[in-house]
Amino acid sequence: MLRYILKRLLIAVPLIFGVLTLTFFIIRLAPGDPAAFFIQPGISPNVAEQIRQQYGLNDPLPVQYVKWLGNVLHGDFGRSFSRAQQPVIEVIAEALPVTMTIAVLTLVANFAFGIIIGVISAVKQNSFLDRFLTVTALFFYSMPEFWLALMMIILFALKWPLFPVSGLNEIGAESYGAFGFVMDRIWHLALPVTVLSINGSAGIARYVRGSMLEVIRQDYVRTARAKGLSERVVILKHALRNALLPVVTLMGSSLPFIFSGALFIEVIFAFPGMGRVTVEAIFARDYPLIIANTFVSGTMIVFGNLLADVLYAVVDPRIKL
Amino acid sequence: MMKTNKRLYRLLSISLLATSTLLTACSKSGGKAGALSGAARDSTLVIGMLGDADYLNPVIGASLTSSEITGLIYPGLLQGEFDTKTGLLNYLALEKRLRPSSGPDEKSPKGALARTWTMSPDHRSITYTLRADAKWADGQPVTSRDFKFVYRLYGNLVIASPRQQFLSELVGADKGAVDFDRAIETPDDTTLIFHFYKPVPEHLALFHTSLTPLPEHLWKNVKPQEFRESKLNQQPVGAGPYRLAAWNKQQSLTLSSSASCNLPKPGNIKRIIYRIIPDYTVRLAQLQTGDVDVVENVKPEDFAAVQKANPNVDIKTIGLRVYDYVGWQNIDGEYYNSTGKARPHPLFGDPAVRRALTFAIDRQSIIDGYLGDYGVIAKTDISPSLKWAYDDSIKPYGFDQAQAVRLLEQAGWLPGPDGIRQKSGKRFSFSLYTNAGNARRNYACVIIQQNLRQIGIDCKIEIQESNVFFQNLQERKLGAWMAGWAIGLEIDPLDVWGSDLKKSRFNFPGFINPRIDQLCELAKSKMRTEEARPYWIEYQKILHEEQPITFLYWIRETQGFSKRIQGAKLNISGTYYNIDDWTLKPSIAP
Repeated sequence: MLRYILKRLLIAVPLIFGVLTLTFFIIRLAPGDPAAFFIQPGISPNVAEQIRQQYGLNDPLPVQYVKWLGNVLHGDFGRSFSRAQQPVIEVIAEALPVTMTIAVLTLVANFAFGIIIGVISAVKQNSFLDRFLTVTALFFYSMPEFWLALMMIILFALKWPLFPVSGLNEIGAESYGAFGFVMDRIWHLALPVTVLSINGSAGIARYVRGSMLEVIRQDYVRTARAKGLSERVVILKHALRNALLPVVTLMGSSLPFIFSGALFIEVIFAFPGMGRVTVEAIFARDYPLIIANTFVSGTMIVFGNLLADVLYAVVDPRIKL
Repeated sequence: MMKTNKRLYRLLSISLLATSTLLTACSKSGGKAGALSGAARDSTLVIGMLGDADYLNPVIGASLTSSEITGLIYPGLLQGEFDTKTGLLNYLALEKRLRPSSGPDEKSPKGALARTWTMSPDHRSITYTLRADAKWADGQPVTSRDFKFVYRLYGNLVIASPRQQFLSELVGADKGAVDFDRAIETPDDTTLIFHFYKPVPEHLALFHTSLTPLPEHLWKNVKPQEFRESKLNQQPVGAGPYRLAAWNKQQSLTLSSSASCNLPKPGNIKRIIYRIIPDYTVRLAQLQTGDVDVVENVKPEDFAAVQKANPNVDIKTIGLRVYDYVGWQNIDGEYYNSTGKARPHPLFGDPAVRRALTFAIDRQSIIDGYLGDYGVIAKTDISPSLKWAYDDSIKPYGFDQAQAVRLLEQAGWLPGPDGIRQKSGKRFSFSLYTNAGNARRNYACVIIQQNLRQIGIDCKIEIQESNVFFQNLQERKLGAWMAGWAIGLEIDPLDVWGSDLKKSRFNFPGFINPRIDQLCELAKSKMRTEEARPYWIEYQKILHEEQPITFLYWIRETQGFSKRIQGAKLNISGTYYNIDDWTLKPSIAP
């Protein structure tokens, strides 16, 4: 397995590199100009040109590429155009923890609720409870997140003001002390994490239900029941473990989400996370920041897939890598 | 079976319990009604902003948030004043003002660093006398050298200041580079002299020489190449009524009143917090809950709901500064791009056709349907708020489709077999482009499409991403489009209407009329702003007659204000025009 992992990692290097190169050229060939902001009446026509000069955008494309390549190989992703020349690594370092907090909480909630609901509806297949859960899950699964988020704000922040509307912390939260600060943060995270996990766990529940139904019909489950094992042991020990195999791989593919952020939620709840950084970078044609973000999410996708494959082999002894 | 269910139910109920504990824990802290205690809230103003500041540095700061904030942190050589009665800008020094103040938006001159100024009789130099008691926040005196120093920065091409245009009359600028040693003199700490290469009207001289200074002693060792990267951009030292207290990037920025300030005084409100809330709906929700005190550009359709939810919110309007228009390509863009020569556009090249299009568009319907009382039909790009120049006698083209048809038929556009007008085999059919994400423009586009269809003109609506749209506009790839302009407070339309299309970068329609160039030059040569009125009157007549674009409507921008803010004066020079004089009404003690 170690050899397999090593091999995959070695392949990943040129892959990510290729993605970055492609991104480099695509964003430069796309219409739009990072200095476009400075093209407006009242600003000297020379400013946009000077800004382009500063950003190194006046060099021919191949020269820009070679320079960029040299820097990236030294681990320097450059400075952001749109965020006051902050090094892009710093921009990402500020945004990543925010995104990760939301994502990890969401993932835990997703899987916990998803598995519970999925198992219930599988075990009580075709009962009222199953139908109710299935319809509800489908209802939430097909609901756009941004809309759900706005509805939640209207309900739980405006109509019944239980939760704050936006931001990571209340103004002046620094003065609450460590415990108060964390509680305040959780209070602020409640709505967005709920929105994200309602949607996500609905999907996972459908997944678990399907795979559980398949497993429950297997011979070894019947054998287990025939042995006189209690239903609890049959479902939770024999069936669930096998039913979770495909679900485990979902965890691997959720990894990129942890790092790339949930754009709509970040914009609506005014969280300065990765999703917002990426989209704002794209609208501002902030080339260095776009590339660095591509690097982060590209790397995570590669690792996520690798993790999914390895997890598969770990939980299912029949699979050899 | 039973047992399993029990177990599962137990699991469910545990997780439910956990959730509800979390909920109660949360609602408890929510019960405090905002996190700030009453007293802290009474001394804190919260402003909801769409985007964060970039550089807190007047030389390079470019975002709107940055300029609002640097305005409060840094001192100004002069105090600007906007006279709503006349629409004229006024400049104030401690002991002198350009013209007497008349409007309700009068300002105290105490914020100015200059005690007085004298313009030389030949209008080629201006001498300021500075007050001697002004100090930077670190205790160092503000001197004339700080100004000379900062003008070198504004003019440094490596730094690429967006305000370098302000230096364009200084000695040497006509030869390519300002000669700072000759252009700016500082004989002593309180005397500052600017020299121009040509006579400059006094108001323009004041406008262009009053750029914001930086403390030389802190900035002198920063290399121009590293200017934008300097940490000082994030930790500004100014001399104005506020100081930067904290800055959580992309979240919030806190200013605190600067106790030592004498320019003019420490800000009335102890703390001002700018919260970055990118989503409009959420900014509005925060205004409703009272978490935020000011939200700009509240849409008219939302007023009723906001004020119903929170009667404590007031809607304040500033004057008319922004207008939307439908642009018609006056010249054949493709032909111009390939040959550099202008010839009339096959559809929109004829002024009579453009007038017909304006007659055909029901502008009042668009206003009634979207802006209500907050829209005014636009006649030209001189705002009715600039009363000294505005021509009241021009009557806007009414909605008159019969007249439109007459004009079109006179111009040879006759109904074709498919109901669409045509002229020598060419159908009157085009795409109307606009940028994505602007509900008002989308609404207007649909009405325009219907209006034109009624007189036999086929118009498709195409929506483009803003960057793409802007680039296509610059490259004259769009025949017809919908966009808008925000006007400057000084009228200077040469960039937008000048007939040298290479120089006039914003003449997107390719409108060519040499008289407009002459009028702009004549107006600029007047030594007093008001004396240019006859030229601007003629200018408006020409634009009205030629209709290079269809001016749609002026938008009265509307800002949501909490009623606890008192003493706010708003005008087209800014929502935060006198923010350092605002006070907060204390909440009623419990």
